[in-house]
Amino acid sequence: MVSTSSPRHAVVVEDDADIRGLLVLVLEQLDFVVTEAPDGLSGVEAVRRTNAELVTLDINLPDIDGMEVCRRLREFSDAYILMLTARADEIDRLTGLDTGADDYINKPFSPKELQARIRALFRRAARTPATPAEDAGQSDELARAAVVQQSLLPRETVRLNGYDVAGAFRPSRSVGGDFYDWYQTRDGMHLTFADAMGKGMGAALIAATVRAVMRSVADTPAIDAAFGSASATITSDLDQSGSFVTMFHARLDSASGKLSYIDAGHGLALHVPAEGAARRLVSAGPPVGILDDQQWPASELELAPGDSLVIVSDGVLDAHNSLEEFQRNVEKVARNGATSDLVCAALLELAPASTAEDDVTAVVVRRKPNAGL
Amino acid sequence: MQFSYEVNDSYAEVKGVGRLNMVAAPKLREVVAEVVAAGSSRVVVNLAETDFMDSSGLGALIGCLKAARQAGGDLRIAGVQPQVRMVLELTNMDRVLTAYPTAEAAFGDD
Repeated sequence: MVSTSSPRHAVVVEDDADIRGLLVLVLEQLDFVVTEAPDGLSGVEAVRRTNAELVTLDINLPDIDGMEVCRRLREFSDAYILMLTARADEIDRLTGLDTGADDYINKPFSPKELQARIRALFRRAARTPATPAEDAGQSDELARAAVVQQSLLPRETVRLNGYDVAGAFRPSRSVGGDFYDWYQTRDGMHLTFADAMGKGMGAALIAATVRAVMRSVADTPAIDAAFGSASATITSDLDQSGSFVTMFHARLDSASGKLSYIDAGHGLALHVPAEGAARRLVSAGPPVGILDDQQWPASELELAPGDSLVIVSDGVLDAHNSLEEFQRNVEKVARNGATSDLVCAALLELAPASTAEDDVTAVVVRRKPNAGL
Repeated sequence: MQFSYEVNDSYAEVKGVGRLNMVAAPKLREVVAEVVAAGSSRVVVNLAETDFMDSSGLGALIGCLKAARQAGGDLRIAGVQPQVRMVLELTNMDRVLTAYPTAEAAFGDD
């Protein structure tokens, strides 16, 4: 292994003193400066203190378990986390759980295999620790990106007779490309919900473009023609960046409850009727910005009194183990909230801030049960 | 997440083990760019050991697909696991990124 001028730190979190000693030895052979922690809490502190690049983590610890340690570490550290477990069958379960660890290894482990895995992790990463100055520059840019992203959200509330419309947004630390936009029209409202791929200023600027372009086609009478011309503009803009945008765009005629919509690769909108099962609105085509000359057919549904339209971003989906579980939870939350605001807040809670890596966004359009009476 | 690749006569196979997320996405782009620059524009990304992918990961795959096509080749995926399949289906990307059971099958038809 190539030795660098500044030493690299590793933390071994393990309650068994013998295994801990062995791990320290293995890592020191790889030129790591190793800190030992006999339990989870002191492990988290050690990583924070040493700014470690590698953590080996036992799953069974005397205080908090390895998964919890992992969650806490991910709030501030992007160290490589290697989880150790005594049971081979547990590895499958753990990988399914999305713990935040980078790799798993069985105890008893072979020191040679462990070293090989760690070498492989670092060979691919070739991570260069940022200097404090770069760090400051980076957080500066992120702060500006967050301001751009925040400015995209609608400031005006929609006041439609018989409807309760709300949205909520929680940015991630890294600033993603989520946003939603709405405005009232003569017949009801237009709504755009989008997620631009990527993070930071790049994603925020793409989101700003999408918002402006979608607003520019508000007066085009047919939704599919409006979306088609907007997406062509967005696609040509995106061509340079190699990015794309998933979008859900809808137009509501408030008197009849008729909702026309186009889903371009988003796939996370649900119609929750007052009676009967919720239905996920299936996407009509891939995201915008991937293929030229793509067409997205429009669909329609009727929002009857007591029905809700719920749209969330993939940050909510990522917090679930399956699409079915996701849909069940979203439907439950949509039915339990007294107002759209409360439903939105509860939807964000489905992806707790402590574990979500991405922005989390939710919009709810509910037609009040007594509408028209 | 770690990536490795192997180049054979008709295509290059890139393997990713772990979670294809915000952290891993730039690495995948780098590896594929390296492979394409070295002259292999027909690329299979073997996802048999990739058990999680988010939108950043999907973005990296799209970026790699564009890079391969610009170089006159193509990018295909193989060994797709359930969570990754779900993301592809949700976003309708399964129509753009064709999934093959194995890396060998991906360019087997041409």
